[in-house]
Order: sequence, then structure tokens, then C-alpha cells
Amino acid sequence: MNNNLVEHFFRHEYGHLVAVLTQKVGFSHIQDVEDAVQNALITALESWKHKGTPDKPHAWIYRVASNNVIGTLRQNNRRSEILEQKLDATESIDETDIESMLSNEFKDGILNWLFICCHPSIPIESQLVFALKTLCGFSIKEIAIRLFISEANVYKRYSRARTYLKNHSNELSQLKRIDHSIRLSAVNKVLYLIFTEGYLSSHLEHSIRSEMCEDAMRLTTILVDNSVGKVPESFALLAIMHLHIARLPARKNNANELLLLEQQDRGLWDQNHIHQGLHWLSHASVGDDFSRYHAEAGIAIEHCLAPTFNQTRWDKIVKCYDLLEKTSPSALHRLNKSVALAQWQGAEVGLTDLNKQNTPQWLLDSYQYHAVQSDLNRRCGNIKQAEISAQIAMEMAPTPAIKKSLSSRLKVNC
Amino acid sequence: MTMKKYLCVVRSPSGKCSPPSPSQMEEMYAKFNAWKDKFEANIFDMGSKLSDAGKVVSQAKTLDGPFVEVKEIIGGYMIIEAESMEKAIEVVKESPGVGSPESSVEIREMMQPPME
Repeated sequence: MNNNLVEHFFRHEYGHLVAVLTQKVGFSHIQDVEDAVQNALITALESWKHKGTPDKPHAWIYRVASNNVIGTLRQNNRRSEILEQKLDATESIDETDIESMLSNEFKDGILNWLFICCHPSIPIESQLVFALKTLCGFSIKEIAIRLFISEANVYKRYSRARTYLKNHSNELSQLKRIDHSIRLSAVNKVLYLIFTEGYLSSHLEHSIRSEMCEDAMRLTTILVDNSVGKVPESFALLAIMHLHIARLPARKNNANELLLLEQQDRGLWDQNHIHQGLHWLSHASVGDDFSRYHAEAGIAIEHCLAPTFNQTRWDKIVKCYDLLEKTSPSALHRLNKSVALAQWQGAEVGLTDLNKQNTPQWLLDSYQYHAVQSDLNRRCGNIKQAEISAQIAMEMAPTPAIKKSLSSRLKVNC
Repeated sequence: MTMKKYLCVVRSPSGKCSPPSPSQMEEMYAKFNAWKDKFEANIFDMGSKLSDAGKVVSQAKTLDGPFVEVKEIIGGYMIIEAESMEKAIEVVKESPGVGSPESSVEIREMMQPPME
């Protein structure tokens, strides 16, 4: 975007303002604040079209939004002088000061907001939706598209979190440092989900996908910048994000088709992100903590540092999958391990490993499982079984892009 | 070549549509700025939005306006400069204001008073 606005200015500004203003006037007014911020953005859009973007756009919107909030509070007869004083305090300060005050206040406000969202009484799927709506500024409809769920479902999850927070608004203002440490894992998990939902959604439109990844990375960067987030687990999480984002530019060809790791042009991988990933991984490797993020970052770094697909250190990757299985057991991790094992010691070893596992129904219902079955069976020479599994995988593929990628990999015609 | 001025009246369907989301807003603003940069020389007055309130006055009586059709409202106006109607149409056609299928822009050449 031109006119001195950073990319995603409106969306990020929405998140900053909702977080900061709601915390000032109290959670019971969150709906009023959301409306006030939405209207302030529309006012900005209309006014800036005619007058151009102001020199201090953050301060500009902040003033309009806080005036809107004061207006609404007055109108609703909920006049509270203390609240108004909190918002009016910026009236006499000049805009440069507001901007510098905001940049600090925003970071603290956003961070505190994340910890509030991750209240243990709110289900994780509601925490995720609530963070996407309030902190990332996505609308209900946009979240539905990104998470592949219905708008009604998104709204339900969102309301659940909002109602809980509204009803417990008193305790929220007194979040202690101890609460921060206790909730840090939950905060990491929500950030991880925002990232993976973005990364794995295989949505046709690249920009939609990368937006969520970038947001997750932006929020995690704010987290590790604060003393509460300076722990190995969060560093490892940030490392994963950089290492995956580094490979995004090579995941599609010019025809917008998904490419397998083997087919990707490694020259397109973003070296800057790889360096950042290495940097955060080295920070993560102190102390005795070993989280799932450490294991995942370990896998990602092996891929990033391998000069070619064939030179990948599959033994290291298999080891990381074993560690991942210990910290967070999942049949999906075991499936991935079988694939790595097949690369390292041959398809037969991989297939034997896969078949001796007790595969849960949810994994049997996914295209990934059958795609791996098909691939390994073909490489072992069991053509008949390979074709049967390929057919099942193709039928289960959720998007045309994945179908296309499968058909070339599994050598079937669509 | 002398430039003529054109008054552009933007009409959109009446009734509330749901407000744009922040990401839609940033997209709208980016499109608008791109258009403004491209046709900088042609934009004489960005005009403004017009309020819903309006009356039509004639000798006989005062009627409630705005007076096009009930389902259509005049949303705003602007003045552009162009050497011809064709060029004016080109400028307006690319403007984000005509982005939605229901809205339209009426373009009228503004007659200049003869030079003394």
C-alpha cells in the first residue's frame, strides 16, 4: 500500500485499537468498542480519500475511535467519568507523542489481550476465533473461509469467548505475572494454530494463506520481545514460523499448482527467514526445556539446510519425529515418521513401520494416509495396492490443488 | 488541448449494506490510491459524499428528495477534467466508485461561461 501506510494497516489497526480501548473501558463494553473502532476506520477511509493519508495515521484513528467510544458510552447512559478521563487524557497531548505512546501501549495491550483470550475456561477453538477476530481484524466471514467452517460456527465460537470475558470482566484487569507464566503455553498454542491454519489450509489463493502466517509471526515476535515471552518454548515457536515461511515462495509453480518438497526450487527459499529461524533456534536451545516446537523446528531446519532433496539428513529427521512423538503423541506424526524412515532406510522399512501402527479412524478418513500408503506400496512394487489407495486418496482430496498434486505424485489420471 | 470539466454524480442503491471488513477497507483504499495516482491530472475536485437529506424545490411546492428513485440514492459527486467525454468515461470507469455492479456514475459536461 502506498501513502506511507504499512501493509494491512486497517486490519492491524483494528486489532490494536480493540485491544487497547477495551482494556481501558472494561470488557463489559467490548461490543461498543468493536463498533466504535469499525466506524473510526470507515471515517478514516472516507476522509483520507479526500485529504490524503495524514502524517500520523495511528494517532488520527486513535482519536476518532476513542471519541466514538466516549460518544457511545454517553448515549447509552453509562456515563462514567473515570472511563472518560482515561480516554480524554490524550486530548491535550500532541500527535507525535500519541504515536510514540501508542507504539509501546499497543504492544503491551496486544500482548495482554492474548493472555486474556487464552483464559483456561475458554475452549481452544473459541480462543483461536476470538484472537483472529479481535487481534487480526478478520471478519466472521473471512475467518469462516480461512478455517473451512461455517459462518454460524465461527460466530458461535466467537460469542462463547466474548460472553465469558464480558461476564468476568472484573478479574481480567488484574492479570498477574503468575497468570502470564501459567498461560504462556496456551498463548503459544493459539499462535501456533493461527500459523498452521494459515500454512496448511492449501487454500488456492496464496495471499490468503500467507496473511495468517505473517500475523502469527508478527504476534509471536511481540511476545518474545517481552520478558514474559523470553522462554525457549516461544523462541522455538518463532523459529518454526521463520523456517516454514522461508519455503513458502517455492511451494507453487507458475501455474499455481502445489509442488512437492522434491520438486521445489531451493534457490527460491528465503535465506533471510532461514537465518532468522537459525537465530531463534539457537536461543531456544538453552536450558532443559524440550517442547514439541523444538522437535518441529528441528525437522524444519534439516529441510532448510539440505542442499538437495537427496542430501537431506533423514536420520536426523526420524530422530526429531521420535522426540515429537514423546512430547505430543499423534498418529499424524507417526505417519510422517514412516515417510522419513522410507527416505532413510528404504520404502519397505517405511511401509512396515506404517503398517504395524494402530491407525485411528480420523487418520484413515484423511487423504494423507492413503496417499502415503499408495506411494510406499508403489515403491515396494505392490502396484495393485498402490492403485487402490491412490483412488481413495483422490476421492478424499479436499481441494482441486491437492487433487492435482496427488495425481502427479501417485501417477493416476484425474 | 483545452480541458473540459465534467461533473460526476455517483448513484448507488439505497438500503443498508453490511459495512466492509478491515481487510476489505485496506483493499478499497489501495485501489482508490492507485486510481488517484493514475489519473492525478484529471481529478479537479475529489468532491465529497452527499448526505441523505434533500429536498426538491419548484414553483408549485417543495417535495421530499433526493429524487431519483426510491431504490437509488445519490452517494457523492466529484469534478474531473478531460479533453473529451470519452476520456472522462475512461477515468470514471476505472474509479473504485463504480466497483459494485449496482452503482453507476452520471457524467455531465460543465459548460464554461464565455471568456470576456
